[in-house]
Amino acid sequence: MNIEQFSVIYYILFWAIRINGCVRRGRQPLLRGPEWFFNVNVRPGFYTGAGRSILRRYWMRMFIPFAVDIPVAIAIFLSGHLLLLSVLVLGLCGLIHINHLFSVDLAERQARPFELPEAEAPVASIALSLTPRRLRDYTNRKVEWALALSSMIALTWLTRYYLAAPDHHNLRLVFGVPAIYLYFQIGWLFVKRVVVAWRTPVPQAQAAEHVEFREETRKYYLRLCDWNRVVLSAGILFWPIQLSISPTGLNRLLNIWFAALLLIAVVSTVSVEIKRKRLVTLALRALPVKLPDFLSQSKIARWPVCYQPSAPMLILKGAHGYSLNLANTLTYLGAAYLAGLLTLVAVLRFGH
Amino acid sequence: MIFLTINTTDPRPIYQQVADGVKELIARGELEEGASLPPVRQLAADLGVNLNTIATAYRELQKDGLIVIKHGSGSMVASRKITDRSQDELLRPLRKALTELVLAGMSSRKILNLVARELSMVAKESK
Repeated sequence: MNIEQFSVIYYILFWAIRINGCVRRGRQPLLRGPEWFFNVNVRPGFYTGAGRSILRRYWMRMFIPFAVDIPVAIAIFLSGHLLLLSVLVLGLCGLIHINHLFSVDLAERQARPFELPEAEAPVASIALSLTPRRLRDYTNRKVEWALALSSMIALTWLTRYYLAAPDHHNLRLVFGVPAIYLYFQIGWLFVKRVVVAWRTPVPQAQAAEHVEFREETRKYYLRLCDWNRVVLSAGILFWPIQLSISPTGLNRLLNIWFAALLLIAVVSTVSVEIKRKRLVTLALRALPVKLPDFLSQSKIARWPVCYQPSAPMLILKGAHGYSLNLANTLTYLGAAYLAGLLTLVAVLRFGH
Repeated sequence: MIFLTINTTDPRPIYQQVADGVKELIARGELEEGASLPPVRQLAADLGVNLNTIATAYRELQKDGLIVIKHGSGSMVASRKITDRSQDELLRPLRKALTELVLAGMSSRKILNLVARELSMVAKESK
């Protein structure tokens, strides 16, 4: 099996997983029962009236990623650059999640006018955890040491490999892939930082249930980040082995590597689904409530981006949906990260 | 997990509710000496308020000698021994509260019972 065949299998597997995801997202609005639409406590008869078209539009928006995917995939198959299917899968993962996030927000906002009058007012009493949340509190030291050690071993190996015959090896070929992988590792660390900073005010009533759900969700996303970092580290470690091995041995090694990656993908998908089901159980225990908006976010954040130095949040819930706060430190870090990624890619592609 | 409660129907400003809430938790012994408090940014973001609101609350707690703010390492609950406030200063809020109760028409016996009950609750939880 070569890398292009692997990309096709990976893409087919991705489609199979997506069907399950679509069914799950399709059921999500009614998960709490017919008196709810996502987290909006709707009036009786909602689903026979205006709710029907809101629900239908939500379902239609679920197909936006397919509308992007199908033509791009056809173009890739026709052009024969099958390796790009892996890039397409990565891009679609992001697109599906962002599309879902915005689609749910839009559907909830459309359903708000049909909310039960008693559910419209925000709760008066909210509870805040006084436990400091730091990245190190959510870090598994053993995993971090393993990741650091494997990367160091790989880099030492690559340096020795390059220095053994510097005139015969291309510096960019030897260090380019590990450099990109390392940079993505930093990216996942940044995502972890954002997840840790994710705000968690909870209503005083049912505070324990809400906190448990929020913390479990936070840990779930942090584990996903760590999982991606482990895969990237494995990729870094695999690179010097791939460079050092003889061409005959390489083919066999690549087959093992791809088979292992596919197995990991299947196992992790099953594991993620099990954890997701547990999160749904926890979410259903905590009754949704509206929390007070002290900063009048709908007034200060009218666009998809805003500049609010006084607001400490990265994302504000504005009048027309989510709004990225450009005055937040994490926004600066994210922008610097993207600029660094572009520079690294440019250096690896065009540098001497 | 230790919680701080904020009530929107409470006439006190939010910074005062935060400061009073932390004071109460320290008095009850739920926040022990040396315990770390969340950074101003975390608490402000969680509550969804201006950074200055929480910074003001922390400053008030620092002024009262209840917390120590160290740049770089965050804020922590101070040792009770370093509270160098005079007795008169400490008695002032009690006097104010007693005046309120007297003006509300409560008898001395009832006020004494109330004070004893509140004190026993605080003392019991701080043990």
